[in-house]
Amino acid sequence: MATRAFDYQILAQTGRTFRLERLPLSSFVAPLALLALWQLACLTGLFPPQVLVPPSGVAKALADMTASGELQRHVGDSLQRLLIGFVIGALAGMAFGATIALSQLAEAAFSPTFLTLWQVPVIAFVPMMVMFLGIDEPFKVAVVAIASFFPMALATFDGIRGVPRNWFEVAKIYRLRLFQLIRRILLPATVPAILTGLRISLTRAWVVLVAAELLAADSGIGQMMEMGRQLFQIDVVLAGVIVSGLIGFLLDRGARWIESRASRWRTA
Amino acid sequence: MNGWLARFPVRAAIGLVVPALLILWWHWRTSAQIATFAPPAAVGRALAELLHSGDLLRDTLSTLKRAFAGLAIGAPLGVAAGVAMGIWRPVDRTLGPLLHALRQVPMIGWLPLMGLWFGVGEGTELIVISMSAFFPSMLNSHAGVAQVERRYLDVGSILRFNTAQRIRFILLPAAMPLVLTGITQALAFSWIATIGTELLTGAGSGLGVAMSQAQVQQRLDVMLVVIAVTAALGFLINQIFRRLRQSLLRWQPSVQ
Repeated sequence: MATRAFDYQILAQTGRTFRLERLPLSSFVAPLALLALWQLACLTGLFPPQVLVPPSGVAKALADMTASGELQRHVGDSLQRLLIGFVIGALAGMAFGATIALSQLAEAAFSPTFLTLWQVPVIAFVPMMVMFLGIDEPFKVAVVAIASFFPMALATFDGIRGVPRNWFEVAKIYRLRLFQLIRRILLPATVPAILTGLRISLTRAWVVLVAAELLAADSGIGQMMEMGRQLFQIDVVLAGVIVSGLIGFLLDRGARWIESRASRWRTA
Repeated sequence: MNGWLARFPVRAAIGLVVPALLILWWHWRTSAQIATFAPPAAVGRALAELLHSGDLLRDTLSTLKRAFAGLAIGAPLGVAAGVAMGIWRPVDRTLGPLLHALRQVPMIGWLPLMGLWFGVGEGTELIVISMSAFFPSMLNSHAGVAQVERRYLDVGSILRFNTAQRIRFILLPAAMPLVLTGITQALAFSWIATIGTELLTGAGSGLGVAMSQAQVQQRLDVMLVVIAVTAALGFLINQIFRRLRQSLLRWQPSVQ
């Protein structure tokens, strides 16, 4: 199947050179020095507090928002949207990918439409979805679902097409039924590809969700940052940047961890 | 195997069934009087209207200009940072963790902060687009330089290459496939970031601006035209760059 620049295989590789657990102590020097410099610049009054609050100010904003429960509400809302949309999008993507991989007729019928739609950046669907769905929950869940659908469908398709032909012949000899074929052969053989697809779907869905929340939302991390910007609360905006980065990082790490655990038996 | 399915006319015909059904359904829905649904024919009219008024051309050009300006700033910086991190360990040690930490934030998530610092406008958009181009270029160039084969470097030291020569004659050619992969990715990222920032800031002209205006005016026909143009351009740019990459790398035996 043709690919575009956002090739999920390429995406799967990015960041592989970086391992947190292998970092020597010296690697913390630069970030810490930057933090110290930042704090110093604010304390000496080089930057007025409207322009840059010191790290301690951001920490205080985070602590205040945690104490009031505001931060938990925003994070909770964002993660809930992410989870619901991701489950819907990833399941649909898997089902679709499996269908067009297993049936030549389905591939011929659906893949041109699929590949055409795939050329559209998910974010470009956002205004149209606002038109149809408004700016409430269904809209945000739908954005996440669409963002997860495409990489998942492709990963599943490639995973199943990558299964050697003679495994299917073995299945034929054993007269496996479709359900058994899926359970015994397709699932185990495609687990690595599907997990990679899940990770890419998840991290991309997060990016798109933050953008959608920036554009139109009443809660969530993106909305928190956008409100902070409108009210000139630079500490809130910086806190939002840190929290959204942290969540993205943890989602990616978590998924990578599951990926390495689940496909360990393959190389062993 | 299903031989008749492999024939091109048959495949193409089957591939057209789904879009045709979708358009039929869409046409039927609009006849059933749903306010925001523009009929398929209206999209054609909107396209003609936008082409005639020159709006589409203007928006397309400013989006392209933005995306390539961001790429022109972000990609060279990214390649330079990646190569520097690949060659000098101290740079990697000091700059690496910082850049990797910054990379975790969704790029569009920088918009509110940059908006506060630099005002909502052209400059802020350019910064965010450049950042989106920076990171993929950096990551791939770093990986490309880091995985250069040891024996090439050994030859370099036998020939007593200085640092500049080593970069010019060994590291860059060897890292070139990944560097170009990085730039291809940077292109896709900056294209998406451009549409995203235009949507969010909505300043001046651009395809994203046109989309958000179409949303406010409830013009589905205009919206669909703009989305189609966005998709087609993204596809086209990417194809051109892939060809370019292949011809730049034709001296490499392993390139497909």
